[in-house]
Amino acid sequence: MSAARTGCRYAVVAVHGDDAIAQRLTAGGLWPGAQIERLGQAPFGDPMLFRLHGYRLALRKSEAQRVQIVEVAS
Amino acid sequence: MTSSAPATPRVARRIALVGRANSGKTSVLMHLTGSLQRPVNFPGSSVECIESSVVEAGVTLNVVDLPGIGSLQATSRDEELALEVLHGRSGQRPDLLCVVLDASKLAVELAFLQSVRALGLPIVVALTKIDVATAEGFPIDAPRLQQALGLPAVVVHGVRGTGAPELRRTLATAALVPANANAAAVAVAPAARTLRASRTDRIDRWLLHPLLGPVALLGVVLGMFQLVFVVADPFLGWIEAAQGFVSDHVGGWLPDGAWRSFVVDGVINGVGSSLVFVPQIALLIAFVTVIEATGYMARAVFLLDRMLRCVGLSGKSFVPLASSFACAIPGIVASRILGDERDRLATIAVAPLMSCSARLPVYVVLLAAFFPPHQAGLLLFLLYLLGIVVAVLVALVLRRTVLRGGTSMLLMELPAYQRPRCRLVFAHTLFAVKSFLRTAGTVILVATMVVWALGYFPRPAAIHEQFEAQRTAAPAGTEGDATRAQLDAAEAAAYLEQSWLATAGKAVQPVFAPAGFDWRMTVGVLAAFPARELVVPTLGTLYSLGEVEASADEPDVRLSTALREQKGADGKPALDGLIALAVMVFFALCSQCAGTLAAIRRETNGWKWPVFTFVYMTVLAWLAAVAVYQIGRLCGYGG
Repeated sequence: MSAARTGCRYAVVAVHGDDAIAQRLTAGGLWPGAQIERLGQAPFGDPMLFRLHGYRLALRKSEAQRVQIVEVAS
Repeated sequence: MTSSAPATPRVARRIALVGRANSGKTSVLMHLTGSLQRPVNFPGSSVECIESSVVEAGVTLNVVDLPGIGSLQATSRDEELALEVLHGRSGQRPDLLCVVLDASKLAVELAFLQSVRALGLPIVVALTKIDVATAEGFPIDAPRLQQALGLPAVVVHGVRGTGAPELRRTLATAALVPANANAAAVAVAPAARTLRASRTDRIDRWLLHPLLGPVALLGVVLGMFQLVFVVADPFLGWIEAAQGFVSDHVGGWLPDGAWRSFVVDGVINGVGSSLVFVPQIALLIAFVTVIEATGYMARAVFLLDRMLRCVGLSGKSFVPLASSFACAIPGIVASRILGDERDRLATIAVAPLMSCSARLPVYVVLLAAFFPPHQAGLLLFLLYLLGIVVAVLVALVLRRTVLRGGTSMLLMELPAYQRPRCRLVFAHTLFAVKSFLRTAGTVILVATMVVWALGYFPRPAAIHEQFEAQRTAAPAGTEGDATRAQLDAAEAAAYLEQSWLATAGKAVQPVFAPAGFDWRMTVGVLAAFPARELVVPTLGTLYSLGEVEASADEPDVRLSTALREQKGADGKPALDGLIALAVMVFFALCSQCAGTLAAIRRETNGWKWPVFTFVYMTVLAWLAAVAVYQIGRLCGYGG
């Protein structure tokens, strides 16, 4: 998810790991099948900003890396 | 609110407001019970469990607002607090849950609702932010959703509060049967998103721009300081003028002696010197509340996260640190939003280094006394910067030694922008000012009186007789009046020189001698340890008791003039610009606030962190003050 390009649409495939961070990511809406869109990033490229389920979610790069995504046609 | 006949026995329901961060719980609580908390547009702002009650249809609804939770697994201190209540581990388990769902991110909220059902408690749903969902391009079909949920559900409008009476009625009358934990998850097919970018998207294009975003943030922070220093300035002048007016008139009615000195130098001086803070505290709190309410605070966290992480803090540390510029106590409480314990402890330890509004009067008085206005502005900025720079260094050291490691995360919603509600900003500001005045009315006033008494007594008759003899010897007429006024001032100074306060100050003075403090300033520093608010009244008492009467007709510059004109034992001025700078640096870094230390103790459950904070700050302050004075002397500044 950290490699997502601005303006493209993606679908979540899986969240890696089984710790508190993974649980929080899932609880925040990053479950398999969820549609995401990268909106932008803070200065120096971190944290990153995504839209999912109609709201804006800020994530650090290190957390975004745990989310596997696949591009979908927009 | 309907009330039935008083004879009817009251039935009470304990209701917990549950919701994800920034779902609008506090707004719902406000409309539900009329309690004026502060609903703000920042995830994680309800860090305390707030309880209030209301009577509806003969049922007392005791509503407790829990901190927002992300899931039923706690990852931060405030989530832990909420879960303890929900599982009945802390206090009585609620009879009924009012689950607040944010319609603008419904898919996530419904998943949350699904996990809350597992608690096996009765549930009533409050649906908020329908308007935001529409503005963001996801209109919600509320009636159909209510039907699909299979639970009592009420739409509440956060700004106007429509729907609140209906929610009250539902909460009072809903059957207390546990929600079906195995109910099928409600699927909402989100309506096709309108292609037009929402208002929030358009604003974010500028405010989160890689270059313009940080510039805008800098502008907001500078605007905050500008507001505090420029807008508050005339108010300060008025308060000081009013104080001068009151003490001149009240002083005129009272006979000369201990009572007059007590009322004028003790009480009026003490009250006036603490009232001077009010405009600044009010403006700062109002500003921070507005920033949170608009939704910009989350953007600031987003923009600053990377930078703050470099020094071992988190973007979220910005919120407690920014609040600490008004007062460190709410800042320390606000650090509960930090998920990682090490981030939280580091933030708590450095928050008191932010120059709070109680330090400002010290800066203002000394800068006005010893520096021309153009230098004063720059020095003031540098003093604030000093606190920030030292905080960064301390945080760096802490994260590389005792607070090493830890995995923090940032998983934060950037909410849609909203217009702040004037009534709430006003209510919250009023609350902050009231709680400050409660402190001012007790701690500051009592301490001012103690300091006055220590400075007024003992009154040996020998001094009076000696000066009375000289006064009688002075020639009559206008010429003699001037001599007598000088003798009066000299008498007051002679009394002060041998007072208990002076004795204590002179005993401790050698500790502060390397920083250039005279015994009066030493007394001021000592008196400020319970609360630094005390230093200005104390210096006021100390320097005005021996003050030359002529400066009394310029009340607004009273203390500044007295400080500048004070002579030491050798006849040279007791203070100069360099010493004033050393004093200000000392105040910028020193931990002089019992309230802050008490807050740290409460938030860290022990004495380790408050003791550590007190010691490191005080030692740093002393070293820095000595360094300023000694280096300044070497460079040829000061007398």
